[in-house]
Amino acid sequence: MTRRKFLPLAGIAATAGYASLKLQKPPRLADGPPGTSPVAILRAGSYSEDLVSRMMEGARLCGLDARGKRVLLKPNLVEFSSSTVINTDASVTAAAVELFHRLGAAEVRIGEGPGHRRDTLDLADDAKYRAIVPKFETIFTDLNRDDVSPVKGFANEPEFYFPNTVLGADLIVSLAKMKTHHWAGVTLAMKNFFGLVPGAVYGWPKNKLHYIGIPESVFELNRTFRNTFAIVDGVVGMEGNGPIQGTPKAAGVLVMGRDLVAVDSTCCRIMGIDPEKVNYLGLAAKLGHVHAERIEQRGEAIASVRTNFALIDEFSDLRLA
Amino acid sequence: MGELYLEERLEFLRHSQNADGGWGYFPGKGSWFEPTAYAMLALHGTPDSQGRLDRAWKLLRSWQTPDGSWRPCGQVQGGTWVTAQAVTLACVRGVDDDSVHTSVDWLLRVVGAEHSLGMRAASHLHLLKTKLDVSHEGWPWRDGNAAWIEPTSHTLVALKKFRSNYRRPEKNYRIGEGEALLFGRRCSDGGWNCGNPNVLNFDLPSYPETTALALLGLQGRSQQELASPLAVARRLRLDTKSSLAKAWLSIALRCHNENLKQPESSPVSNDVMLTALEALGHPDGNFALLRTGANA
Repeated sequence: MTRRKFLPLAGIAATAGYASLKLQKPPRLADGPPGTSPVAILRAGSYSEDLVSRMMEGARLCGLDARGKRVLLKPNLVEFSSSTVINTDASVTAAAVELFHRLGAAEVRIGEGPGHRRDTLDLADDAKYRAIVPKFETIFTDLNRDDVSPVKGFANEPEFYFPNTVLGADLIVSLAKMKTHHWAGVTLAMKNFFGLVPGAVYGWPKNKLHYIGIPESVFELNRTFRNTFAIVDGVVGMEGNGPIQGTPKAAGVLVMGRDLVAVDSTCCRIMGIDPEKVNYLGLAAKLGHVHAERIEQRGEAIASVRTNFALIDEFSDLRLA
Repeated sequence: MGELYLEERLEFLRHSQNADGGWGYFPGKGSWFEPTAYAMLALHGTPDSQGRLDRAWKLLRSWQTPDGSWRPCGQVQGGTWVTAQAVTLACVRGVDDDSVHTSVDWLLRVVGAEHSLGMRAASHLHLLKTKLDVSHEGWPWRDGNAAWIEPTSHTLVALKKFRSNYRRPEKNYRIGEGEALLFGRRCSDGGWNCGNPNVLNFDLPSYPETTALALLGLQGRSQQELASPLAVARRLRLDTKSSLAKAWLSIALRCHNENLKQPESSPVSNDVMLTALEALGHPDGNFALLRTGANA
């Protein structure tokens, strides 16, 4: 048994959470909902390629219908460092804006609530969002400081608060980055929803989620928000000590799908990680499909794009056989 | 030029006050405690502001909960770290009544959850992924969570300003503990990030905004102790392009008696909190309201 399994610090991504002993054998993963889930893998060797066309193809392969919908794009903006690739590339976000306009969305907005940094627009500026995404400031909402409304039934809390921009969206699109994560193993489409939680209520970082538990919070966020779609930026991802201090890893793909559990499971397999060993996917197997036989891989085959992402020692047991 | 910089920001604040008396993070949005608090500090003592400040204070007081804590906005139930800002505002306004004392009681009761016996034992056994000194009692964003730099700093400012006839001995003890927590969580580069200087044996960098807030919380400590972090803050202020970070650093450095140049002319932002902080950090602004020492 690894130290990671023995002592999953409930977060403190932080500072300190509660160390809880997890000695029981992991239960068999749920089969998920009936049927199968399509997930599209599109090759994209660089950010200068025609990403909109790739995404249009992915949307077609997944049967995505965005006509008349108010769409909220949720990129992964965390911190900025010129020496690595922490954030969803601005080119991917710009292409997604164009994609949903072409698909007939009634409205396309971008929203993010970074977990550490207060100055969200400055972070977006560093990540070149203002330079690359047309009219960025007019379509962007800082979810940390949006007005909020209560939601009942989130993680056994009497009330949990979410930004009105999130609650008013017909479709929330997780524009995630393909990265390893030093607490969760990986951070992909599902964990990206941490940024939906408002800092003005829960702080910087959103420590409440760490105390609920990272896997449990990922599950709850994705159980709460069901009208979702995912586009994972794996053109250049991050391996090693992610999600901030890892090193760039070119996977050369975009991964798209309506079932975020299936999207994350597919990303894991591309990264050479066994999704059935990722704690939050174990919980989320009730929401979507983890098992390979229940995922319809469309576009590229996993085997043709698989590239093992380096893992820190604590997660070495996640490696896919 | 400098007067125009300040007056433009104060005028923006006057025009962006909501009908309920508060300010939103952005004009036209619902009122929140945090931007309201900074707008009130920025406008404090300025001509023709008394009425609007009284309305704002009345709104904020309606958000105090029975346990003494304050809610971050009208939609959210339960108090948070803004309770510290409420105490600071009360001090600035000269309010020293039972309701403020219950807020101080709440602040003294709330402790970062990582200070629990279990976490201290885990730290002692080197079972944490973070190199973290959990032996000191700081303040969390919300009761029941871990302590972080920003809420700890806000609370230190509040408790240091709250001098009245409140005589519970815990106050000075908790101030000392909060300061020790800040010193213990400095990053290897000399400043502070949100409160996690090292994960998995990798040092993490400091942030300009939290470095500024920590320095506000540490007012009154010796020049020898603060010389290095003040030097870091000066460098960060020059390096950062974040307007928010610049504003907070200006306030912190001025509170430490640094003589900074006037800010260059720049358009007024649509961000209420940023505009209020820029006004506070101006040489003729109200930054001194956040002083806690003898010159407060």
